[in-house]
Amino acid sequence: MGKVTEITVWTRGVVMDKEARDVANAFAQAAKMEGKFVQAFDNYEDLPDRVLVTTRKYARISDEEIEMKYLYTNAHPDVVVIVEPTIVKGINVLKGMPEGGLLIINTNRPIDYMLKFIPNADLLGAIATVDADGISGVKTVDFSGSEGGVDTAGLGAGIAAPILGAMARVTGLAKKESLAKIVSDVAALDRGYNEVKFEKFRKQRSEYFWGG
Amino acid sequence: MPIKVPKDREVPFGAITPAPIKQQELFITSNWRIVRPVIDHEKCTRCFTCYIACPDSCWSFNEKEEKMEWNWKFCKGCQICIHECPADALSAVPELDFEDGVVRLEKPF
Repeated sequence: MGKVTEITVWTRGVVMDKEARDVANAFAQAAKMEGKFVQAFDNYEDLPDRVLVTTRKYARISDEEIEMKYLYTNAHPDVVVIVEPTIVKGINVLKGMPEGGLLIINTNRPIDYMLKFIPNADLLGAIATVDADGISGVKTVDFSGSEGGVDTAGLGAGIAAPILGAMARVTGLAKKESLAKIVSDVAALDRGYNEVKFEKFRKQRSEYFWGG
Repeated sequence: MPIKVPKDREVPFGAITPAPIKQQELFITSNWRIVRPVIDHEKCTRCFTCYIACPDSCWSFNEKEEKMEWNWKFCKGCQICIHECPADALSAVPELDFEDGVVRLEKPF
């Protein structure tokens, strides 16, 4: 089995649940369109999903078939995406991350300011911020409890689109063109792709190519 | 099969446990907040509306200093007190403006 890139998306329950689910699902789907092997899961460990509770979504991308069949949680996430920036204050989001990983935060604050809240930031290979709330600002609230089963809003209609654009540019695991076929709000995807702020920290490990 | 109780938690049959404590330290929910209520003590009229409205009893009255006190450990940032305050003494301030006031956890809760 080749290298599996693990992506963990942190979000707040109910109020931004759909957005994070879209990030994991749409990014995995775009990578699949490019011939990669993918998995994407909602979380069942952090449930019951309550308003504002921190929850996770997971995606995995690999060039070869993924043979992790029974564990859906990412123990060693290479990429951590924060859909709501306050989460960095209350959770050790880099838990289990191998050295040189990537952190993407949806915030309009400067990167240096966000790093103050991450005591173990020396693990990071790179950090990126994108102001998805400023670009799109739409948060679809789904109270049906169906976890996407009856989702009629479409993938990436809200703040998920700019975050996906930023991920496409910084991770290089899926192309923007493939994401544009999936995401509803293509204009926000483009803006996220162009407006992402990015900072590399240290010499990265050979398997990481953050920043393209 | 008898229930295995750890030695330090064993109590005699019919024992009375201590009175319920006010704060359960095992379930700190400060990391649920996106914004926090900040009180302006000049505007506050001590009407206790926030004390009544808060679902988690995070507002209490400090009788020595004669002002309302906020419990940062269990406030979930629901903003009910901010909406209910008749004197507009409370305002919502983003949690990221402050460096402290959130317990950092390894797990979501």
